[in-house]
Amino acid sequence: MELGRLEYLQALVTDSTGNKRRCSLGLSVSSVSSHTRPFSLAEAKEQVLANLANFAYDPSNYEYLRQLQVLDLFLDMLTEDNESLVEFAMGGLCNLCLDKTNKEYILEANGVEPIINCLSSSNEETVVSAVTTLMFLTTPRSRAQTTALPVVECMLRFSLSANRRLSNLASIFLQDYCTPPQVEEARNLSKHTAVGIPLPKD
Amino acid sequence: MAADSSGAPGAPCRHHAQLGACESRAKYREGWRPRAVKVYTINLESRYLLIQGVPALGVMKELVEQFALYGAIEEYHALDEYPAEQFTEVYLIKFKKLQCARVAKKKMDERSFFGSLLHVCYAPEFETVQETREKLQDRRKYIAKATNQRDCFVLKKVEGPKKTASKNSEQDSLWSTSGSHVASTWDRSCFTSSPGVSHNLAYPSGNQNESLLTSPHYDNNCADISGYFGQKTSLTPSVHPGGHTPPASLMQQRMVPAYNGIDRFMPRTTHLQERKRKREEGNKFSLIGTSEDNTEVVIGPQLPEIPKVDMDDESLNTSATLIRNKLKEVADSVSTSVEKPESSSAKPLPELQLSPSSDRSSRWNHRRKEESDAALFCHDTTAAATGTPAGQSSCFWLVCFELESELS
Repeated sequence: MELGRLEYLQALVTDSTGNKRRCSLGLSVSSVSSHTRPFSLAEAKEQVLANLANFAYDPSNYEYLRQLQVLDLFLDMLTEDNESLVEFAMGGLCNLCLDKTNKEYILEANGVEPIINCLSSSNEETVVSAVTTLMFLTTPRSRAQTTALPVVECMLRFSLSANRRLSNLASIFLQDYCTPPQVEEARNLSKHTAVGIPLPKD
Repeated sequence: MAADSSGAPGAPCRHHAQLGACESRAKYREGWRPRAVKVYTINLESRYLLIQGVPALGVMKELVEQFALYGAIEEYHALDEYPAEQFTEVYLIKFKKLQCARVAKKKMDERSFFGSLLHVCYAPEFETVQETREKLQDRRKYIAKATNQRDCFVLKKVEGPKKTASKNSEQDSLWSTSGSHVASTWDRSCFTSSPGVSHNLAYPSGNQNESLLTSPHYDNNCADISGYFGQKTSLTPSVHPGGHTPPASLMQQRMVPAYNGIDRFMPRTTHLQERKRKREEGNKFSLIGTSEDNTEVVIGPQLPEIPKVDMDDESLNTSATLIRNKLKEVADSVSTSVEKPESSSAKPLPELQLSPSSDRSSRWNHRRKEESDAALFCHDTTAAATGTPAGQSSCFWLVCFELESELS
């Protein structure tokens, strides 16, 4: 059953019909039998994505996940409307982005941009995962992107949040991943602009 | 969210809430216990555990003792300000290690305690900045170790965090590492002894041959294979992880002793097979040498061959020579007694000797006998090449052939 599950996930993720990955995920999920009550496609998608995101926690799965192009799936899901899908996909990326190969892959695939966009999500988990992911993705090469001025500005605001988890992470980001001049610049900037990235609401 | 966590970290947070178990999950994806749809990241996990539903019976000591089974506890206290159901209390327990907290949470969540169901969850909001920083750094180190581990076969036990949507036991991770441990031990020993192997074993035995062939293959696919092992087991929620993988690894492990002390402790079957091979090679060459003369190499039942090969051992060689000579003696004595009744084959030669005439009939006879003699000779040379002293009268026939060639 266990190996069957992964094979099934493989069937879910891999694009055998030539359709877009998103579509094949939906189509395959809807063809699943043996469910106790009528369930929605969105629910099934969420479950599968959560499954994959949790698999992404264990490094021994990374090779397989790469082969199944799950990284691309996570990056794609970041632009979905469904908040849960974004949350799970962001969690998945957070879990696996520390691995060198995965890191390079995400950076190559221009994944930093959608992750930065997740900072403005209203979902607490999404934001927290996004902050951590940006931290993990910071390399000498990508530093310019991950610690860009708008990002540092955002982190400044987060560090003042009442949400302890968020403020802790933001503080670490500013202290460990940004240079003092960067922080100073952002501080000066935020004093003058009223428009900022809204804090996530619960 | 601002309203919820406006106070001290003890305020209820969204991530403390126990989500309803997912009922719509397809059967094949169901784990052993009903679980909610939730993704665990390093941000959510923490050394701090929040325990709700503790009956207000003054059982703090017992509670802490119960949790202490899973690891050292650094701090614990009750959270009075946390909203709790009537007659229940909420406690906070801080573990020394994150891994212990993970195990404790897994085991104690939804466990009955003094008649009440506990709800255990992580409480990362109690962490200080430094603690969060250390948590993230530990995660980094773990990934670095785990990644290198697969690439270089560094044999360290992996503390595998395996938070999957379904249940996953600690044993799975241990198994995956022990599997790769075994395999890599086999791999290394195989390579170190391979020069010795090729030197001594021109003809490796069945299973050893297999190992030699598979070892470079294994090396190339090591990452995939070990990854596959690990992945296979990490996906098994069952109590018996990866049933198919153990035999393979154990088999590999059993092969290891075969490579140690290869000179002295070669299995007996290998020795016999090697001698057989050498014998066959000798046969092969002897046949090639005489096949042009006559296709009919073998006439009549082939006599049992006694291999005249080097036994790679002095004492064995001496014994073999003694036996061979003995057999020769016996065979010679037998053949001389046998030859006399075989007048048809023996006689022509004296005839040839006496009358080397150009008479046609005699020449034809001569030729016939030559052929038969040659055939016999071939047979005998075959026997001689393989060291068949019972090829018996080989010396005799050798002499005959020489005479024939002189005559013709």
